[in-house]
Amino acid sequence: MTVIDNRTATGSARALSTEEPADPRAPRIRLETLFDDGTFRPLTAEDKSGALAGSGRIEGTPAVAFASDPRVQGGAMGAAGCEAIESAYDAAVRERVPVIGIWHSGGARLAEGVESLHGVGKVFAAMTRASGVVPQISVVIGPAAGGAAYGPALTDIVIMSQGGRVFVTGPDVVKSVTGEEIDMAGLGGPEPHGRRSGVVHMVAEDDTEAVARARRLAVLLGHQGRLRQAEVSDVDMAHVLPESPRRAYDVHPLIDDLLDEPGLELHQKWAPNMVTLLGRLGGRTVGVMANNPLRLGGCLDSLSAEKAARFVRMCDAFGVPLVVIVDTPGYLPGVGQEHGGVVRRGAKLLHAFAEATVPRITLVTRKSFGGAYIAMNSRALGATRVFAWPTATIGVMGAPAAVRVLGRKKLAAVPEEERPALEARLVTEYEETVGGLDRAVELGVVDEVIKPAETRTAIARAIAEAPPARGNHGNIPL
Amino acid sequence: MAEVQAEMVANVWKVVAAQGDTVAVGDTIVILESMKMEIPVLTEDAGTITDLRVAEGDVVQEGDVIAVID
Repeated sequence: MTVIDNRTATGSARALSTEEPADPRAPRIRLETLFDDGTFRPLTAEDKSGALAGSGRIEGTPAVAFASDPRVQGGAMGAAGCEAIESAYDAAVRERVPVIGIWHSGGARLAEGVESLHGVGKVFAAMTRASGVVPQISVVIGPAAGGAAYGPALTDIVIMSQGGRVFVTGPDVVKSVTGEEIDMAGLGGPEPHGRRSGVVHMVAEDDTEAVARARRLAVLLGHQGRLRQAEVSDVDMAHVLPESPRRAYDVHPLIDDLLDEPGLELHQKWAPNMVTLLGRLGGRTVGVMANNPLRLGGCLDSLSAEKAARFVRMCDAFGVPLVVIVDTPGYLPGVGQEHGGVVRRGAKLLHAFAEATVPRITLVTRKSFGGAYIAMNSRALGATRVFAWPTATIGVMGAPAAVRVLGRKKLAAVPEEERPALEARLVTEYEETVGGLDRAVELGVVDEVIKPAETRTAIARAIAEAPPARGNHGNIPL
Repeated sequence: MAEVQAEMVANVWKVVAAQGDTVAVGDTIVILESMKMEIPVLTEDAGTITDLRVAEGDVVQEGDVIAVID
């Protein structure tokens, strides 16, 4: 494979396309679909290498992309195709623009032996060097198997179309080794990866939708815009909270109220007790992270902490301000959680926030307790600004629960019929001395108590006033 | 056929739907009580509830089937 200049490539491509009528799987067609009409310029030759790289614009924003060529050896990656992908990465890093990979590949080329493995390894190294430098988006349209599976996995965001399949070893090998019988979709399709493994961030209905999402993400991350405070008006978000403070609710309408328009949710079905989403506020890209009380009561657990940690690090690496919406009763108790490494994975979230330099605003809407209070972008971890609604309660645990521990002896000493009254009195005392929102404000761990009807402008102002910053680190797929 | 499962250990606080009911995506089947919260369990699938396997006061474990929807 040779790297050629744009003029020659365009000329030879025309010659090629007159000989072979358009095959929708051809990388050139897929890349032309990804970019704005007429903006695609190849960076590599259209040959039998198995991959094509090129640049273009997406809603005017410059970007680089590559696509595997499933017409040649099922899109298998050989040394030359890997060089094409590397040249896409070189261009993206040089221009500081997003890079998008369209995957449809059976893995490393068997016929090339170790040479293809070496090439695939070099692609992984290029991806890792670019990590945190430029946004990397993968669109898995067909199989991305074996070595090709780790290509998307190393990138920031993976979108899978209905025909996408990601696995290290296919159904035949699985059956011969473990005896398990499963088809390709069951092993590595959108359902297992979107819901169970967390490998895939977004599942698309079809290839067109997958490409549309990649375009939107490339613009959200590649052209983040400036926050125009004057264009941010307030919405009364109070309607989202149920009357009973005990009742769980879906946090999505609250996020919709906050953003200019509905955002793009990442990992929608995996660890759904934590919502991670990219959208715009006042025209500027922001990352929103929110406990979702409807799922697991909004508890943090090992998977959601890990999901959130990766999201925080991605946003920090690309300078995307974070809005953290808190309503959590705490960490989920259980043997499965402890043995599943909730301490190790929870530590990732603490680390991610504590090292983040990007503006990050916390809003406590209702509950924020215990270890989860600290983990959800608390003041101690360096939150830029912490807001709370008047309905918020912050503490080691809720006042009634705390009183039942602290006042155990006092409660036991009185006759049973007097206990509710005593408990109520102790709760009031506890809130006055230890708990309560006023105390949190006094300590400076909450900056300001704001009304739901002034939340949008308060958050927008806090982001606009914070100096822009960007973390200096990669985005390891935690 | 789809199953609605419990995501966590919880008490069944209220059974909202009944066997034979026609449900739409997002309808509440039961309300669980856990972590001092009332957590509605919604269906992700539309159809008829052919089997409702829990009663108020039951304890469900993570992964237990609450209802079957056809």
